[in-house]
Amino acid sequence: MTGQLIQSLVDALSAGATLGLAALSIGLVFGVIRLANFAQAEIITASAYCLIFTWELGWFIAVPLSILVAVAMSLLMEFTVFSRMRSANPATLLIASFGLSFLLQRVYELMFSNNVRTAPVASGLAQTVEFAGVRIQLLSVATIVIAGLLLLGLHLFLTRTSMGLQLKAAAADFRTARLIGIPAGRVIALSFALSGILAAAVAFVLTVQSGAVGPTFGVQITILALVGAVIGGIDKISGSLAGGFLVGFVTSMLATWLPQEMSNFKDAYVFVLVIGVLLFRPSGLLIKGRGVART
Amino acid sequence: MSEPVGVVNASVTSSPRGLWCRLGPLWSLVSLLAIVYVVTLMNSFLGDSVQVQLQYALVNLIIVVALQIFIGTSGVLSFGHVAFVAVGAWTVGLLTIDPELKRNLLPDLFPFLFDLNAPWLVAVVIGGVVGGLLALVVSPVLMRLNGLQAGIATFALLGVVNQVLTYWSSVGPRSGQSMVGIPDVLNLQTTMLFAMAAIVAAWLFQRTRPSRLLRAAREDGIAAASSGINVVSQRIIVFAVSGIVAGVAGGLFALTNRVVQSSQLNIELTFVTLAMLVLGGMLSLSGAVIGTLVFSLVDVLLVRLQNGVEIGAYVVSVPQGARAIILGLILVGMLLFRPSGITGGREFVWPLRRERPLPGMPPTNES
Repeated sequence: MTGQLIQSLVDALSAGATLGLAALSIGLVFGVIRLANFAQAEIITASAYCLIFTWELGWFIAVPLSILVAVAMSLLMEFTVFSRMRSANPATLLIASFGLSFLLQRVYELMFSNNVRTAPVASGLAQTVEFAGVRIQLLSVATIVIAGLLLLGLHLFLTRTSMGLQLKAAAADFRTARLIGIPAGRVIALSFALSGILAAAVAFVLTVQSGAVGPTFGVQITILALVGAVIGGIDKISGSLAGGFLVGFVTSMLATWLPQEMSNFKDAYVFVLVIGVLLFRPSGLLIKGRGVART
Repeated sequence: MSEPVGVVNASVTSSPRGLWCRLGPLWSLVSLLAIVYVVTLMNSFLGDSVQVQLQYALVNLIIVVALQIFIGTSGVLSFGHVAFVAVGAWTVGLLTIDPELKRNLLPDLFPFLFDLNAPWLVAVVIGGVVGGLLALVVSPVLMRLNGLQAGIATFALLGVVNQVLTYWSSVGPRSGQSMVGIPDVLNLQTTMLFAMAAIVAAWLFQRTRPSRLLRAAREDGIAAASSGINVVSQRIIVFAVSGIVAGVAGGLFALTNRVVQSSQLNIELTFVTLAMLVLGGMLSLSGAVIGTLVFSLVDVLLVRLQNGVEIGAYVVSVPQGARAIILGLILVGMLLFRPSGITGGREFVWPLRRERPLPGMPPTNES
């Protein structure tokens, strides 16, 4: 029983970590330009395709390349679409990102067909190890480690470097940040690039998990990440992270512990929870009071 | 052609000028109905496959009108309307499938549902009522939220409803299966009449008190609240009305598709219908109609082009799959270059009228 408990905890932690990263990648951009970028899904998909197609060349080529693809996609979206929509309100931006997402999915369909592409990406991580009677998936541990390292790196970057501090300031209050001379274009590009790196990490974990990538590969997690970011408090970087983690953790726990006939409805329970949270803390769990009502 | 939507018209009632102001909106209704009629007539020139596509387009039109009633009036985003479409479709499915067939295909149903049966028209009406009731039940919770939070919460509603319909076999098929055996009773003309009825209903509703109050609140929430408008309760009314229309659309979807599956009534349909609304312009009923019809007609055209069309000596064709990409490009391009949609959020007005600003109103700018 304790073995099963520990096992489910590790799984839930890793699910939470993945979703936390995905939510963080959305929150980073939202903090700066009020864009909840749904097309993040297609960045994840592109990065995952890249892993699948280049894996046989060796991980030392495939992994950097997949990061590069994600960052490039992210920046490309910013320069071609979102940089032209600065004056739009968050709802319009969200719809624009939906449109972009829809468009890119169809492009993937045309390029790579509707069937999933498969490759044994990092198949070594897919095994389970038995440790003191507890069976643990290596991938879950790896996910937690990757997420931990990325968060540590991001934290150091945001608190110790000038660029990072500028980004943090812009995410807290973009208008004031500009007034004190923080270069807007550069900070926005930086936030897109960082969110691309996080998307690549999410893509890596998901690709190892499933080994198969189709045109709508990134959609499911992005929806949940968006939901998580909003209930955590998308206005705040730590809010998105915590909200994403919470949604991932709870979903995974429900999947393990609910009886079979009820576990079918696990997403429904999570969504009901989400509506409840939004009702009582509309600005997000981590935002005190009414939060910053900027639009 | 420019006239701010609805809000202003009511105040002026005297003089010939005032008459125009009252007939102006009527003109917008008549022209929308005429457009729907003409587009539907096109099927006789274009053959059977187009007829099927047009029928789906008209069902989508009703969904988009439902979306417009809520989103356009309140300015609040909703990703949840397809939930009402889904319960409408479910209701019509359950009420119109032959009882004998129901017993065999949907064995886990609540026993009382086996013998529940209704003529299709009644079933569609009940579908609308069920959609409206669901909207009414959830609205006290959802209508308190604004902006992105409202979008996410309505989306969560869609998620809940979709999961329940997928897995709860006491009210529908077992998970992964679909509801089949829905009778073939709906033709294109009848669907057109339903679409016209939805437009008329939306147009009439625009003229009612809740709709006007909510549009005032959309333009300036603080000013509206301080003039004594209870925004939440007005939103609840408008949400329930749009839920009814969406439920009816769901019933018609069931009768058009004749197979109902929860996966068809989920995110994708939400995106497509929202895209149609955005394309036309969210803030006006004309936007909903024009957006849906333009989107659908481009789609019809592209399907044609995919199969190859002879123009003189040449055969013009677009590659398979390019159709969805072109539709996506149109949507993104529209958001980039004309974010307020084709109609710019305005209704049609009598084209021959000379534009004179109303006394006390800022001059309306030509677009």
